[in-house]
Amino acid sequence: MGGSANGATDLSSEMEVDAFRRLFPLRFHERHLVESVRPDARPLGKARETSLALGAVGSADGSALAKIGCTTMLAAIKMEVMTPATDAPDEGCVAIDFHMPAICSPIVRPGRPAEAAPVVSKQLSDTILSSGMIDLKELSLVSGKAAWMAYLDIYCLDADGALFDAALLAAAAAFSHLQIPVVSLNDDGRIVVVSKQNEVEKLKNKPVNEEKRKLKLKGIPFALTCILHKNYILADPTAEEESIMETLITIVLDSSCQLVSLYKPGGPALAYESVIQDCIALSRQRVRELQTILNEAISDMEVD
Amino acid sequence: MEYVNPEGLRLDGRRPMEMRQLRAEIGAVSGADGSAMFEMGNTKVIAAVYGPREVQHRSQMVNDKALIRCEYTMANFSTGDRTRKPKGDRRSTEISLVIRQTMEACILTHLMPRSQIDIFVQVLQADGGTRSACINAATLALADAGIPMRDLVTSCSSGYLNSTPLLDLNYVEDSAGGPDVTVGILPKLDKVTLLQMDAKLPMDIFENVMQLATEGCKAVANYIREVLIQNTKQLEHRRGV
Repeated sequence: MGGSANGATDLSSEMEVDAFRRLFPLRFHERHLVESVRPDARPLGKARETSLALGAVGSADGSALAKIGCTTMLAAIKMEVMTPATDAPDEGCVAIDFHMPAICSPIVRPGRPAEAAPVVSKQLSDTILSSGMIDLKELSLVSGKAAWMAYLDIYCLDADGALFDAALLAAAAAFSHLQIPVVSLNDDGRIVVVSKQNEVEKLKNKPVNEEKRKLKLKGIPFALTCILHKNYILADPTAEEESIMETLITIVLDSSCQLVSLYKPGGPALAYESVIQDCIALSRQRVRELQTILNEAISDMEVD
Repeated sequence: MEYVNPEGLRLDGRRPMEMRQLRAEIGAVSGADGSAMFEMGNTKVIAAVYGPREVQHRSQMVNDKALIRCEYTMANFSTGDRTRKPKGDRRSTEISLVIRQTMEACILTHLMPRSQIDIFVQVLQADGGTRSACINAATLALADAGIPMRDLVTSCSSGYLNSTPLLDLNYVEDSAGGPDVTVGILPKLDKVTLLQMDAKLPMDIFENVMQLATEGCKAVANYIREVLIQNTKQLEHRRGV
């Protein structure tokens, strides 16, 4: 062990930076951490540049494109009418699905879905439904007979670390952008979507939900993933950092800074309570940033 | 239904020989060796190229040339109704095969033996002409990845409705039940690599319609060349040349 470390130090004085980064990734990153900086010149607790664009998919009822650094997520919501379950006749349903198509990363192969995809999918589903952001009663149309099923599909277009953070942001933005389609009850007693061309039908059958077009979202959850390595806490890791230092901790807070979810799935580094408190403090800061970005994106949409 | 009104305008206000607006962006996916986003009107696709890299299934390795693999997937929300099975269905498999064979014809595979080149195409919004948009995006992505090719491959579709040849059909015109001719050419070499048509068409009219699609392909080729030149200028600028 000592021998190989010496071997590395001998080589490191002669090697090019890129080669050193590929051959000894952990040492490369640790050299940066000692100076409290990361290879992309970020301080340890700072997240990458985040941007949001609402309405990215014209054919969907609600959509958003979220970018954190290079990680890109496209979320779109399609609404369909369904009959509600008998034990919850006044509630609609939300189905969340996360996809990692082969374009997003060199390690995803067609025919073999990425390991991260179902994990993030379940995490998202649990977080969004348990945070109470959406009141399922708002998705009801006719009690016991018809309710909305909202299909939320999130596609990862570029996987560069912090997938869950970006996906949650895209999901929250898509729900903020969602416009529920206007429907009316036609003569057979079925719910029919009122399209702009059916002017005549619009007069015949009064639309059922003309007033209720946007969802009221309360307590929107925002996430921050951190990496724990020795004594360091790195916020918002890139894919390279995630693959070298494997201990991740994800903290989800809502807009009033209440803890929604805490996820530390094992990993070689153990965390003292003080470390978790530090992570929560970093998350609190991040929630404020993300809230501002989301509000700006919504107000930009409304101006249009 | 009237697809071309008496004044000669189509449903979306275009003239019969007019293409939809093209928009392309190189480098859409940061982790890929080459990637591009291509839009033809409302049809938006992203292509990513990974390679040349090591062959994943040793048994498929070819000793004297590169193995080309292609996968075409549509996002659940890309079409009007939400699709349940965006990947393994017959249409996606057929289009994956078509794109692979089209690109294989122009990549100089003998220069990269025992390796694999993966072309992945993801349709984000489908409004007719997805096949053509995917081939155009794949060409740009391969160029971005620096993979040696004989020539660009560009593709465009055309049809024949209300006794008028129409260029670059959108979804409504495509599903009208008239013929739909998709052409893929190597513009500099002036060779046809892809030609598909369905529905019936008399031979002389077919020649006109195919000629129209070929001109559409040449127009796409000019646009793609411009985009590549702009991209190269930017790279030169960043390098300080």
